[in-house]
Amino acid sequence: MTEKLRRYEKIDFLGEGQFATVYKARDTETDSIVAVKKIKVGSRAEAKDGINRTALREIKLLQELKHDNIIGLLDVFGHKSNVSLVFDFMDTDLEVIIKDSNIVLTSANVKSYMIQTLQGLEYLHFNWILHRDLKPNNLLVNSSGVLKIGDFGLAKFFGSPNRIYTHQVVTRWYRAPELLYGARLYGTGVDMWAIGCILAELLLRLPFLPGESDLDQLTRIFQTLGTPSDETWPGMTDLPDFIQFKPFPGTPLKHIFTAAGDDLLDLITSLLNVNPLERCTCDQALQMPYFSNKPPPTIGSKLPLPMTIRKEPEEKPSLKRKLLESMDGGSLAKRLQF
Amino acid sequence: MDDQICPRCKTTKYRNPSLKLMVNVCGHALCESCVDLLFLKGSGACPECQIPLRRTNFRIQLFEDSMVEKEVDIRKRILRDFNKKEEDFTTLREYNDYLEEIETIIYNLANNIDVIETNKRIEQYKKANKEQILKSKSKLGREEYELEELLELEKQQEEERKLELIKQEVEMKKKKIREKEALIDELMFSEADAANIVETFASTIQATREEAKVVPVAKVTQFSTGIKFGRQGQQTFMPVPKVEEGPTYCYKRIEQEVEGPHPPGWQEMESGGYIAHVRSEKPAEKAGGFKSNIACLRALQEAMAGLYHNPSQRPPESMAI
Repeated sequence: MTEKLRRYEKIDFLGEGQFATVYKARDTETDSIVAVKKIKVGSRAEAKDGINRTALREIKLLQELKHDNIIGLLDVFGHKSNVSLVFDFMDTDLEVIIKDSNIVLTSANVKSYMIQTLQGLEYLHFNWILHRDLKPNNLLVNSSGVLKIGDFGLAKFFGSPNRIYTHQVVTRWYRAPELLYGARLYGTGVDMWAIGCILAELLLRLPFLPGESDLDQLTRIFQTLGTPSDETWPGMTDLPDFIQFKPFPGTPLKHIFTAAGDDLLDLITSLLNVNPLERCTCDQALQMPYFSNKPPPTIGSKLPLPMTIRKEPEEKPSLKRKLLESMDGGSLAKRLQF
Repeated sequence: MDDQICPRCKTTKYRNPSLKLMVNVCGHALCESCVDLLFLKGSGACPECQIPLRRTNFRIQLFEDSMVEKEVDIRKRILRDFNKKEEDFTTLREYNDYLEEIETIIYNLANNIDVIETNKRIEQYKKANKEQILKSKSKLGREEYELEELLELEKQQEEERKLELIKQEVEMKKKKIREKEALIDELMFSEADAANIVETFASTIQATREEAKVVPVAKVTQFSTGIKFGRQGQQTFMPVPKVEEGPTYCYKRIEQEVEGPHPPGWQEMESGGYIAHVRSEKPAEKAGGFKSNIACLRALQEAMAGLYHNPSQRPPESMAI
């Protein structure tokens, strides 16, 4: 185990989460850049099985998953009481891209991100895994434009009829209405709802439903999509935390996404269906006309990236022109005229 | 621009949609009605900085930031005197230094840095370059005149080209008619074979047409704006980024080797009666997006996967982890 410790050379500190610290490192064996996630030891209660639960989930699930659009777990090693996971190195994530006002996202770019996300998620669902924490922050993008779903700390197998699932999953803004109503048994719908919210966020460049509390979240959902009735969502009154809302008529999506075409609106409508059984699944979504219609998705290498991680950071010309111009007459003098 | 507000009467664009902010040389904004009120006599002091102002100097604020407005004002005034051209300098460096000095002066005035010092500098420059300034001014006027002339010339040329085109068209039509008549005449009076005659005519017409095509149109391009070209090394405009289109997306179903009999799909779940052996979902579970066929399908898949697996036939896969 100690030689594994030496195999990865720490380059940079990348970030710290609740359960782990992440470092950028060089794999000396393959000479490639990787991300090393060092799990924090945590309190005794958290790690009563000897290892943190989220780390255990990631190791357990990711070991067996292999897909272009799923983060790859390359290695696991321990040192003393520490556990470290080695992942593919990803340059940025979708949240950074959405928030970067210097980046223009074309409809082809959005389509490309959606296809990659849905393909990864389809693979997960195909293997009976729910991600349960989809958000732009967890959709990682590398410098060649490949999107990978990351952070499997909340992922879990689904489809077991007896097991009880917690509804306290998914970051609130991306949480499906059935989770907010306290459903204890759910399906792929929870991930699909999050995808719908992410798609909306890609288009608006703002969080689509930024609720301030669980109740506010439901209010926002019903205000935008209309309050469901027992016809549109059968059985909703039986959900554990059901509350009757005052009937909102909902806003036509066309008025929210003014620039979206009909095929795109169809997709959003289908992803953000309040009734989870009516919501489309990954394969249904990918077969919708929006994805095969023009414009075709942008190829990976042409996807936009934040300025800070351009492949070769160009040297910025210094503001002081005097240092630059002395040798050649190339720099054109400009006179400002108003 | 929605939050425009008059600093004196606090009227906002929201409350008074026709609100117009005006600025004077000091750069402090006032709304139109305040200007009317305060400068009834034609002149008065700025309520903000007490600088004496003339009413006639108020202009509608074009830029949201009144600092920009002020700067533009100063720039206009300064450039009236600092009007040397690139040609007036021997080296680019000197010209650049000169431009930089202008910028420093404007910056100083706009930000109230060393105003007295700067004004002194301007006066000094004015005195030293009196003749030069006058010359440049007249030159500027001349240049503008030349530009107008150039535009006029261009217009005339355009007119001429149009006339020429019309003339050419008429000519062509006449020619066609003439050719037709000649052909008919020939056919009427000649003794030769009719087919032969038609062919020779056709070929001559073809030949003349081709000749006409070859005439080269050598045109001298002259920019009406007077921009000198060939001087700047690089292109002025960035090339329009080409929209590179990849292939359109085509859905491919996930295939996975199961090493066992193929489990039934979603449709067969009910028709095959599999569902009857699984506890059916409760209404609350159904509302949560769970149906018993999910559990049923998973159980079937797990039961059948790997049934044909024979470890002795395949080398054990080296686990990556």
